[in-house]
Amino acid sequence: MIEDALIALTVVFPPLAGLLCYALTNKTARRLIVALTAVVLIGSSILLYIGGGFVYEPAPIFENVILVLDLALLVYFLYAGLKYKNWLVLGLSVLQLLPLIYFEFGLGGMVVEPMMVVSELSLVMGLIISVVGSLIVVYALSYMDEHEHHLHIEKSKQPRFFFFMLLLLGAMHGLVFSNSLYWVYFFWEVTTLCSYELIRHDGTEIAVKNALTALWMNLLGGVGFIAAIFLGYYFAGTLSIEALLNMGEAPIFLLLFATLAFAAFTKSAQFPFNKWLQGAMVAPTPVSALLHSSTMVNAGVYLILRIAPAFSGTALSFGTALVGAFTFMITAILALNERTSKGILAYSTIGNLGLIILCAGINTPLSYAAALTLLLFHSVSKGLLFLCAGVVENRVNTRLIEDWEGLLAKLPLTTVIMVIAMLSMFLPPFGMLLGKWAAIDAIVSAPTIGKIIMLIFVLIGSAATTVYYSKWLGHMLMLPQSGKGLGNEELPAPYVLSMFTLLSLSVVMGLGVALLINSVVLPAMPVGYISSIGVSVVNVTTGFGSFLTIPYWIGAAVIILVGVFIARSKGGVVKAPYESGENIADNPEAFRTTADTQVPIEVSGMFMENEFSESKVLTYGVIAGALIVFVMFFTVVL
Amino acid sequence: MKTMTKARLKSPWVLHFDCGSCNGCDIEILAALTPKFDVERFGIVNIGDPKHADVLLVTGPANKRNQRVLKNLFDQMPQPKAVIAIGECACSGAIFHNCPNTLGGVDNVIPVDVYVPGCAARPESIVDGVVLALQKLQKVSEGEKVD
Amino acid sequence: MVDLTNPYTYVPVVLVILAPVIGGLLMGIDRKLTARMQSRMGPPITQPFYDAIKLWGKEPFIASKIQPVLAFGYFGFSLAAFALLAFGQDILLLIFTMAIADLCLIVAAFNSKSTYSNLGARRELLGMMSYEPVLLLAAISISFVTGNFMVGGIFQFETPLLTILPLTFLAMIPVLVIDMKKSPFDVSASSHAHQELVRGIYTEFSGYTLAMVELGHWTRVALLLGFMSLFWAPNLIIGTALAFMLFFIVLVIDNSYPRLDWKTMVKTTWVVGFLLILANIVGLVARLVIFS
Repeated sequence: MIEDALIALTVVFPPLAGLLCYALTNKTARRLIVALTAVVLIGSSILLYIGGGFVYEPAPIFENVILVLDLALLVYFLYAGLKYKNWLVLGLSVLQLLPLIYFEFGLGGMVVEPMMVVSELSLVMGLIISVVGSLIVVYALSYMDEHEHHLHIEKSKQPRFFFFMLLLLGAMHGLVFSNSLYWVYFFWEVTTLCSYELIRHDGTEIAVKNALTALWMNLLGGVGFIAAIFLGYYFAGTLSIEALLNMGEAPIFLLLFATLAFAAFTKSAQFPFNKWLQGAMVAPTPVSALLHSSTMVNAGVYLILRIAPAFSGTALSFGTALVGAFTFMITAILALNERTSKGILAYSTIGNLGLIILCAGINTPLSYAAALTLLLFHSVSKGLLFLCAGVVENRVNTRLIEDWEGLLAKLPLTTVIMVIAMLSMFLPPFGMLLGKWAAIDAIVSAPTIGKIIMLIFVLIGSAATTVYYSKWLGHMLMLPQSGKGLGNEELPAPYVLSMFTLLSLSVVMGLGVALLINSVVLPAMPVGYISSIGVSVVNVTTGFGSFLTIPYWIGAAVIILVGVFIARSKGGVVKAPYESGENIADNPEAFRTTADTQVPIEVSGMFMENEFSESKVLTYGVIAGALIVFVMFFTVVL
Repeated sequence: MKTMTKARLKSPWVLHFDCGSCNGCDIEILAALTPKFDVERFGIVNIGDPKHADVLLVTGPANKRNQRVLKNLFDQMPQPKAVIAIGECACSGAIFHNCPNTLGGVDNVIPVDVYVPGCAARPESIVDGVVLALQKLQKVSEGEKVD
Repeated sequence: MVDLTNPYTYVPVVLVILAPVIGGLLMGIDRKLTARMQSRMGPPITQPFYDAIKLWGKEPFIASKIQPVLAFGYFGFSLAAFALLAFGQDILLLIFTMAIADLCLIVAAFNSKSTYSNLGARRELLGMMSYEPVLLLAAISISFVTGNFMVGGIFQFETPLLTILPLTFLAMIPVLVIDMKKSPFDVSASSHAHQELVRGIYTEFSGYTLAMVELGHWTRVALLLGFMSLFWAPNLIIGTALAFMLFFIVLVIDNSYPRLDWKTMVKTTWVVGFLLILANIVGLVARLVIFS
């Protein structure tokens, strides 16, 4: 009984609340509804998590409801393709619609029992979606006001915005709780719908264009799902994921999983399907935060994690890992070249998802645990980073990181939060680095010989990651020399609530990573994956190495405190930078040059366009990515 | 003597600035760094950054164009510091004394501690001058008032 | 758990405390040897200590309020990395800690709006991008041999690593050149006497902040050479001699080559480093296959 309620609350309540937001255009009503949804979602997820995994059979009426909604959805996509004369969208919608109609009405569809399986993995995903997702939607309450103010929009489009945001939260829950391939496919396409609608929310030409790109790439994944459904119907006789996982490793089943992996690649924007995520950055920042960093793209990763145990040790596993590893390296190199904040974050997202997929592909217990750890920490940190980037963008009116100089003085609070979030992405003792460290340990201990090339990809990607984040940090922390103190910053309540909560979550999770691994990650592992990870008060061990946790935090805190103490006690006069003696007395940010003119000191960013030119690397990357995916399918079919 | 004083005497870092000299004195300064005279054995290093330097070696007469730069470099040097004017031009302007485009010796712009005459000043004199400057640094370090 | 009566437990602590001292002496020896190679006398071996003490006593000029904290962070985290080495901990964690230290320095240099400082910091980033993958791959190759990533594991492994991983040892030469800031890869700042971009990444440091950066640099040199000495772990005396030999090779390279540009640095380090280590690993695998 309570399970009915909790599932309804997480899957059905958010879209209904969204409809209410759409209907009631009153702002206060909207804020109340969103706040209520947030509380309901977080509460339900926690209750579900505490309750543990279970099997659930929804009422049979839902089968038909979903069928009707699915067909309506595909017809809508068809219409979108026609309206914008986008033949890819049109073609791919037809490619999904016709087989689906045949499946349901020609073949009579398929009954799957059980319809919903709430596994430990689903519960962890549910927590991420609820907590991070709700906070992002809360953040959007303030952001969209500022956004529409900037764009001078008279008639607010926020009702529509929040409808799709809340719809997404519900759909994601449905996705992770479903056991029937068909239901997963339905919720998958609902997320595609949300993505499409939200990317083109602003209605500009480029927004629509990028929305259509996102649409057809995601629809391509949907076609993969249709193929998987047919394969499941004809060769496995079931659409239940649980059953499919136990079907064995005959090539036809591997082909089924390969098509699912293909769909996951499109959803998680792995190479060669990365373009849509980069284009999706034109959307308002909460969209980027929710869909394209911490929630929707996790759907692809979730799918791979779910089906990974079925193809462990096969060529498909290796192929998947290779796609992930290659993506990680290429996106890190591309991010070196990227000038906009959201562009860098987009590349970082794709890259880290690639790392998670790499771990899933390696398919050893250790790598699976590493993947889950990375997933947890990435969602929180990346969501937080996008939120901060949105605030800065609204205040400073630019996305170019070169122009983000002196942010520490202008927006001290946001900058500090953003700096901590950035550090949490790639430095010890934060959890992301623990995940990366565990991933390296896992690859080193993997049974395949191809691990050498994956290691090289990971190492190069890791080095490039450090460089592009440090560059950005440097720009943000560049202080104006005019000696003005830190400015005052006012943040509205939704910002404070969402950003501080995510920051605290990130820090607390980092501090308690050992506990987190023991109580959240290890229980979510698939049956039979006995990991060699050990946790203790002082460290996390993998059997090959030991990652100090609490001692490291203490050491880092001590170092910072001693540094602050020394700085305080020795003090110092802030002096203008060295400009060959040509400093100007009252203008420390300029220097004197010929004819006694004053020239402002300008420091630009390093983007290495000649060496790692973005267009060239992208082209080669897409070609290589396509090759890898093709080879992956090829080895399965052989 | 105290450690800090000893350290200061053992490690004077030099900033060399040419105010308009004919480079004769500059060549002699660089000659002092060559293996024949090898001032690095005294810990003297030709540092280019005023923020790191202890001793400022100036050559050439001060003029209206570079007085600002000279003052700026001097200001960017942290205490304790010493200034050595090398060569006749830096000491008093030499043959350019009273010319309309020069301001005479460097001491018209910044306080000079040691004067090393000569045109061009010989490396041995330069080394002597640095030793004298070190004495000033020692006095400053030990708390004596020095003008 | 920890036996406080056994003198051997105190060895790591003593090593950590002595790390900057050892590093400073190494820098002094470096300057002395370099001078001798250039037919000069050179400063005394204890010169770096005089430099650091003198710097500490200068009037403090800082570029911003957070610069001294970050400068100490550079020293502190380098020392922490050395502590990880001395206490036999995880090598990967050690390398990532070195990265934090480097990052502190880089952000401190970016902190002031100075052209030279910024250029130096960017080049230091490129240097880090060059040596980090090679260093990590070397650690991974060691883990293939000893079976784990712990420094303690190397000690428990009876055979000297140099006999099994000679090419990895050689691949560390470019890494050492970059981190010790020696030609041909001293693009971000140079150890004494060769200047680039005024003082490169060190330009805006002065007085006590520069002293802390110097201490950090010494600790890093001691750390890397200490890591190298592990290549003959059973007998650390030979290991230290090995590390010193590598140090000498780096000095010879420094005095023979001019500064090259960052592209050459990245390319050479990656190509030489990766190829050598991969060749080593392939050789190991081949040996396993042939002799089994």
